Amino acid sequence: MTFDTLIGHRQQKNILHRALSSQHLAHAYLFEGPDGVGKKMMALAFVRARLCENGTGCETCPACLKVNNDNHPDIHFLTADGAAIKIEQIRALQQELSLRPLEGNGKFCLIDGAEHLTNGAANALLKTLEEPQPGTMIILLTSQPETLLPTIRSRCQRLPFMRLPKQQLANLLVQKLDLGDTEATVLAALSEGSFKKALGPNRELFLEKRHKLIQTLSALSAGSTIPTFTFADELETEKETLFDILDIFQSFYRDLLLLKHNRPLEELVNQDLLEILQHQKHSTTTASLLTKLKALESARFHLQRNVNRRLALEVMLMRITAA
Amino acid sequence: MSYQVLARKWRPQFFEDLVGQEHVSQTLKNAITADRVHHAFLFTGARGVGKTSAARIFAKALNCQTGPTTQPCGVCPSCVEITNSQGSDVLEIDGASNTGVDDIRELRESIRYLPSQSRYKIYIIDEVHMLSINAFNALLKTLEEPPEHAKFIFATTEPHKIPITILSRCQRFDFKKIGLAPLQIRLRHIVDKENIKVEDSGLTIIARSGGGSMRDALSTLDQVIAFCGDQIDDEELQSLLGLVSRSLLLETVRSILERDPGRSLALVQKVDEHGHSFRQFCQQLVELVRSLVILKVVAQPGELIDVGEAELEEINTLAGPASLEDLQRLLAILIRTEADLAISNYPRLTMEMVLVKLAGMPAGVEVATLIKRLEALEAQLASGIPAPKGPAVEKTPAPQAVAAPQPEEPAVKQSAPLQAVDTGEKNWAGLVEFVKNRHKPRISSLLEQSSLLLLELPCLRIGMPGRYFSLADSDMRQAIQSLAVEYFATEVKLEVEKIGNGDKVPLSLHEERTQQESDRQKKLRENAVEHPLVKSALDIFGGKIESVKPIDKGFV
Repeated sequence: MTFDTLIGHRQQKNILHRALSSQHLAHAYLFEGPDGVGKKMMALAFVRARLCENGTGCETCPACLKVNNDNHPDIHFLTADGAAIKIEQIRALQQELSLRPLEGNGKFCLIDGAEHLTNGAANALLKTLEEPQPGTMIILLTSQPETLLPTIRSRCQRLPFMRLPKQQLANLLVQKLDLGDTEATVLAALSEGSFKKALGPNRELFLEKRHKLIQTLSALSAGSTIPTFTFADELETEKETLFDILDIFQSFYRDLLLLKHNRPLEELVNQDLLEILQHQKHSTTTASLLTKLKALESARFHLQRNVNRRLALEVMLMRITAA
Repeated sequence: MSYQVLARKWRPQFFEDLVGQEHVSQTLKNAITADRVHHAFLFTGARGVGKTSAARIFAKALNCQTGPTTQPCGVCPSCVEITNSQGSDVLEIDGASNTGVDDIRELRESIRYLPSQSRYKIYIIDEVHMLSINAFNALLKTLEEPPEHAKFIFATTEPHKIPITILSRCQRFDFKKIGLAPLQIRLRHIVDKENIKVEDSGLTIIARSGGGSMRDALSTLDQVIAFCGDQIDDEELQSLLGLVSRSLLLETVRSILERDPGRSLALVQKVDEHGHSFRQFCQQLVELVRSLVILKVVAQPGELIDVGEAELEEINTLAGPASLEDLQRLLAILIRTEADLAISNYPRLTMEMVLVKLAGMPAGVEVATLIKRLEALEAQLASGIPAPKGPAVEKTPAPQAVAAPQPEEPAVKQSAPLQAVDTGEKNWAGLVEFVKNRHKPRISSLLEQSSLLLLELPCLRIGMPGRYFSLADSDMRQAIQSLAVEYFATEVKLEVEKIGNGDKVPLSLHEERTQQESDRQKKLRENAVEHPLVKSALDIFGGKIESVKPIDKGFV
């Protein structure tokens, strides 16, 4: 995939294009932006354009093909080994980068998920990141730039990536997946401008199970103790998709919040559930919606930190129904 | 690659280039001229303020072939080697990669040998805070009394991680953040040399984005040049750096202060459409509200806030009607939100929630004011003036505060007739209570069983059931009468009548109480039976309700 075939990110493409044509290339870049919007693709396209024998990223020369097949000897690809990128990996990288390039005009290093660098690894990278061997380029990719060391951030040229506009993603989904307009809009809104999410395995969850989930949730009330616990039980079994389900709940209450404040309908996520939304709109207050959203947020926070899942979900639902 | 990023290309090579660290360069220069150079230095400070650069310049100054000088020549082999960081006598060690005690042992081995060509053997250990504790300890003796020809320079951003024993052996220099003005002058110097055209206002934006760090500012400048080429336009700059326009920010704060959550949400939508990061948006909001607070507190803010005349005017009108408490609360919440946004996985929602909450909040009252009011109220109560019921309550800000005591009220009301609260009015129940308090159990229990037939002072006529009537002998009557006189504080004529079983008389206090008790029991039972939990328990087990026992006497 060359620059031109990448979807969206016009500004970012422009910047990299200009850097390439004027040879004003920094030795360290930090690509920051949400997951699954195409940071890695962009980085690969950029590197390919540098390594390409025709200087364009033609995809036909041997160098380009090697990049595409992930076996170019001068590209080093670093990802989390287990939960983190460890200091040993960085040391090995430094060793590699101290050598001359084998085929290309420089060595390239892509660190995907730079937020996974351990403290030691990040510190060990600092000197290399500041003054690498001539011809070396390090590209860090991250979705959470704020969690990186400030000393790392300050050594890189930062290139922020935005979420893809909802409409653009929706149009793409209509084309590629043959979805209806409403479905595509809902899916695009729920995946927050991320290709990965929209095209991922959660399509069925987002499109079909959502109705049922939201109906069950909105049917709960403060008195319905037993259904609440049953529902928590159900949710607990959803190991893989639990966070996406929380996303769905969040989107539902957010829609209500927007409706309460008379925002236009296009801004809503669950546009196909207008009936339930309109119905619920009158029976809730802004304060209770905020409490519910807070409950969801704190449940997510705790679930990410290895608590008793069942308990966390029960507490969450109880707080939601009580609000 | 011929191109080097600006931060590297323009790395200071002389003490004069070191911007904003005059206190350090002056001290170091004086040490050299006075020939009193310590053997170990620690350079600390934020990122990108010139620690590593200063270490290299100092090394050059010490090793320059023209003698230890405050003006390293920059052309002799020693200076050139250091500039290219390949000197054999100046060793730049990456403290974060060589963290172990073995690395330090190696260093101790090599330190014994004289420098190969220069005056001193200089060890620059960058990121020294990452050394292991053993490595630090292995270094202690060497650091205290190194050979004459050895000098140490440590550089770190985190001095608090360095053991105290190391700190005490070093001369420590704290590098300051670089002020906006010197940063801008240096940037101007660089862009002029690079033939890049930027307006002063553009440079101010870039300098501010650096946040006191030269390297951050230069990285931003690089980024801007990569995007705009040689001609940098302010508007392009704003969009590239993701800065939210001032008007959008002002409008947001206005919508909050005017308590219009709908408009706040519309503005969030706008911010999203422009593709701004919400964290950035929140940071800028914090900055704006900060200037509002400062305007409220200081009459002539001057340098405290840096905004133009026209904007100052606008901010002033915005701050006008808002109270300081409100603004401070706004600031506090926004600052917290900014931290929340960093970890939020749905920043837009977080922002929306906060704005709705802020716009929906009633005007704040300072805790000190509340306490004062409370104290005044207490003083009034203590001096016996009945508390003003209406106004004090109405003034309290949150409606919840008014609603809070309500649930208790029914309970109080219900027990009122029994406890015969001294309401100032003398009545029958009051008399009975009074007798009880006088520790006359016999009389009070007798009175409790009796019914009041007439109370028209001085006439008090009570009826006693037949079985108790005989107890009321003349002594007893005497005692009752004297107690009643004491209670009503007037003359009382006591008459006691015997009442039969069929006679229609008002209920005695005792009977009243029993009846209320059974009413309560009945109500409890009803409530319990109707409770959904009980119902579904009955459904599941197919049982029936045997009895209902209250566990808490406070509620019905």
